[in-house]
Amino acid sequence: MITEQNLVTDENRLERFLAFSAEVTAFTVFELQGTGQAEAYLKTIGDVVGAALLDEILTVHGKQMSTTGDEGRPARNAYLRREIFGSEKLGPIARNIVKLWYSGVWYELPTAWTENYGPAPKDVTFVVSPASYVEGLLWTAIGAHPAGAKAPGYGSWAAAPRIPRFAGDPAHLPAAADEEPARLPA
Amino acid sequence: MNRDASYDAVIVGAGVAGALIAKRLTGAGMRVLVLEAGPGTSRSLDGYTQHLETFYAATAKSPESPWPPAVGAPQPDTTSLRNNDGYFVQRGPNLYGSSYTRLWGGSTLHWLGVSLRMLPEDFRMRSRHGVARDWPLDYTALAPYYEKAEREIGVSADVADQHYLGLSFSEGYDYPMRRIPPSYSDRVLGAAVDGMPVTMGDEEIAIRVRSYPAARNSIPRGDYQPVGAVDIGPEGRSGTSNLGERCQGNTSCTPICPVQAKYNAGKSMAQADQRLLTVQVQAVASKVRIDPVTGDVQGIEYKRYEDVGSPVHTTHLATGRVYILAAHATENAKLMLASGLEGPRGQVGRTLMDHPALYAWGMAPLDVGAYRGPQSTSGIEDLRGGAFRARHASFRFDIGNDGWRATTGAPDTAVADAVMKRNLFGPALRAQLETTLPRHVRLSLAVEQLPDPDNRISIDPNYLDAFGNPRPVIDYRIDDYTLAGMAAASDVARAVFRRAGITDCSDPDKGSWFPSAFYQGREFRYHGMGHFAGTHAMGDDPSGSVVNADQRAWEHSNLFLVGSGSFPTMGTSNPTLTLAALALRTADRLVATLAE
Repeated sequence: MITEQNLVTDENRLERFLAFSAEVTAFTVFELQGTGQAEAYLKTIGDVVGAALLDEILTVHGKQMSTTGDEGRPARNAYLRREIFGSEKLGPIARNIVKLWYSGVWYELPTAWTENYGPAPKDVTFVVSPASYVEGLLWTAIGAHPAGAKAPGYGSWAAAPRIPRFAGDPAHLPAAADEEPARLPA
Repeated sequence: MNRDASYDAVIVGAGVAGALIAKRLTGAGMRVLVLEAGPGTSRSLDGYTQHLETFYAATAKSPESPWPPAVGAPQPDTTSLRNNDGYFVQRGPNLYGSSYTRLWGGSTLHWLGVSLRMLPEDFRMRSRHGVARDWPLDYTALAPYYEKAEREIGVSADVADQHYLGLSFSEGYDYPMRRIPPSYSDRVLGAAVDGMPVTMGDEEIAIRVRSYPAARNSIPRGDYQPVGAVDIGPEGRSGTSNLGERCQGNTSCTPICPVQAKYNAGKSMAQADQRLLTVQVQAVASKVRIDPVTGDVQGIEYKRYEDVGSPVHTTHLATGRVYILAAHATENAKLMLASGLEGPRGQVGRTLMDHPALYAWGMAPLDVGAYRGPQSTSGIEDLRGGAFRARHASFRFDIGNDGWRATTGAPDTAVADAVMKRNLFGPALRAQLETTLPRHVRLSLAVEQLPDPDNRISIDPNYLDAFGNPRPVIDYRIDDYTLAGMAAASDVARAVFRRAGITDCSDPDKGSWFPSAFYQGREFRYHGMGHFAGTHAMGDDPSGSVVNADQRAWEHSNLFLVGSGSFPTMGTSNPTLTLAALALRTADRLVATLAE
C-alpha cells in the first residue's frame, strides 16, 4: 500500500534512489554521491525502462525503511529478495541498478523481461559515460582502481592490497568503532 | 596524380621503426617524409585524451577499443579475428590470432612494453639446434644497437636481473632507468616458485620469477631524462610534456597508457628535427613504383583522404633518394605484393610467424592484489632457451597483474556473474567480490614459432578494402614443433600453480573465445601476441631471404624493408626491442649511404 509518507515524488526521487542504492550496493549514500553519477543513472533508468518502474521499486523499498542498522539487515535483505529481487518485473531492473553502480554499464535486460514488460527500444548494453566507467564501485570494492584511471602512483603495486572495510561485511565484521565514519546529515 | 617535392628519404609508416629512423635521419640533416595510413589524432595531448575517453566509453575494452580505424586504413581487431569476418581473409587451417593498429604511433600505442633482448642462441637456431635458419647477424653484432634502442625507447630494468641463458652486456652497462618495482603478486608467486626444478627432456632447469625490462618510465639512472607524453600542436608546437615521466600504475598499458609513461612511437617522432620532417597522415601507400631496368624505386603512390569515414581519396606520388617501408610486417608484405614485387624466389609475405599463446588462470590461496600495477612486471624466462629446442618450441611466461581481465573479462564479468547467477546484492555481493578478485592470477604462455614458407600473407584481387587496396590473405598453420612447446608450457604452468597452492581455474569454455589447436589428444585454445614477423626475412644471400642484414632489399638498391618482418626467426622475446635495434642499425647505414 502506498502511503503518503511513502510516495516517491520528483522532489525526493534522488534521495530515495540513493537510499535504495546504498542498501543494494553496500556502499554508503555518501560514497554513492561521491561518484557524481546518481543523476546520470536515474536518467539512464528513466530513459530505458521509464521512471514509473523505478518508482515502484523505491516505493516497495520504502516500506521497509523502519528497520535500520546492522541488526535489521537480515530482515531487510529477506524483504528485498522477496519483494524486489525475486520479482519477475522488478528484479531485473534492481539487478541492473546494482550493476550500474558497480561498473557504470547498463546491461541489456533479459529477453523474458522485455517480452513481458517491454518494449524498451533503448535497452542495449552501453557504458553510461566515460565518467561512469571511471566511477564504477567494483574497483574500490576489490582494493584496486579502474584500469586506465585513478592511478594509485608509482610503485604502489608493490605493496599488499588494502581492501576497504564496509558495514555489514561478513568477511570483516566491523567493531563498533569501525562503523562508517561519514554519513550524510539526516 | 599530384607529385610531392622530393625528399632524402620517404618512410612508409609512423610506427616505432619508422619513427626511430626519422629521428636519426633528420638528426643527421636529412629531409624526411613520413606517410602514415591512419589519422594523426594521437599527436596532441588533447587528441590523445579523446582516445582515452573512447576507451572509457567502450563496452568491449579490447586492445583496439581506443583506436578506431579509418575507412581507408582498415585494421584487424579482436572481435573480427574471433568471428573471422574482418580485415584479414583467413584460409587456415589455423586462425592467425593477432591484431595491430594503423595510426600515427602504430601498435606501440597499445603494446605492453615488454623489452626483452633475444637470446644469443635465438640468432643461431640452425647451427645450435638444427632447426629453422640462422640470422645474418649475431647477438654480439646487435648488442650495441640493443643498448641504443634501450635508451631511445626508454627501458627500465636492472642489468643484474638480466644475466641468463647467455645474455651479456657491455662492461659497466645498466639500463637507462631502474627496474619497474615488481608487483606484490610477483613477490608472492616468486616466494613459492623460485628455484623450482622443471624437466625438459634430459635437462633439469630451475625456474624463477624475474623482473623483465619494460619500456615504461621509472627512476632514471645518471643523466637519463625520461620522455613524457607527446604534445604536438596544430600550430607547430612540438614536443613532449612532463606528464608520464613515471609509470603511475594505471593497469592499462594495453590498450592505452593514459599518461604515456609507456613508450609509443610518437615520442621518437616528437624528438625528430621537425624542420626537416614532413608527416603526411591519412596517406595510404598503395604502390611502390620500380624502374623496370635498374630495379630501383622511383616513387611511392599513396592515397590521401580527408574524411576518416569516407572512401573518397586522391592519389599522389612521393619521391626521395631512398625508400623505407616501415608499415608493419603485414602491411610491408602487402604493399610489396600489390606492387608486383614478390622478392627473390617469391619470398615476400612468406614465413609469417607469431607467438601463439595460451592462458592459464587460477585463484591464489590469499590476496595477491590483482588488478593493480602495470599489466605485468615479471615473467618466467628460464625456458626460453635450452637443448630441448632441437625437439620443441621454447616459451616464456608473462605473469599478469591484471587478474582474469584478458581471460574471462573480469572484473566486470565477475560483477555480472555474481549479480545474475549468484543472485547477490548488498554486503554479500561486495564480500564475494573482495574475497575472490584480489586472488586472481593469470599466466600467459607465449610459445615460439619457426618460419614455415607456407605460412604467409598474400593478396587476391577478390578481396579489396574500401580504397581498392588489397586485404591481407593469410595461410597459417601451427606445426608440431610449436604444439609440443604448448604442451610443455601447459605442464609447467600446472606445476607452478600446484607449487604455489593456486587453484587452477583455466577453463576456455568459461573464458573469452579463442581458436583451438589439437596435439596428441590435447586441445589448446590459443591467441596471438600481436608479434607478426618474418614476412620479408633477412639473410646472407637472396636465395633464402628478401633483405640483407641492413634490411636493404636484395632486388632494389634504394629500398629498405624494416620491422619484425625482417626477422628470420623470432625466439620468444617480444619483437619491438629487437626491431628497434635493427632500425637504428639500418638508420646508421642510411646516414652513411645518403652522405655519399
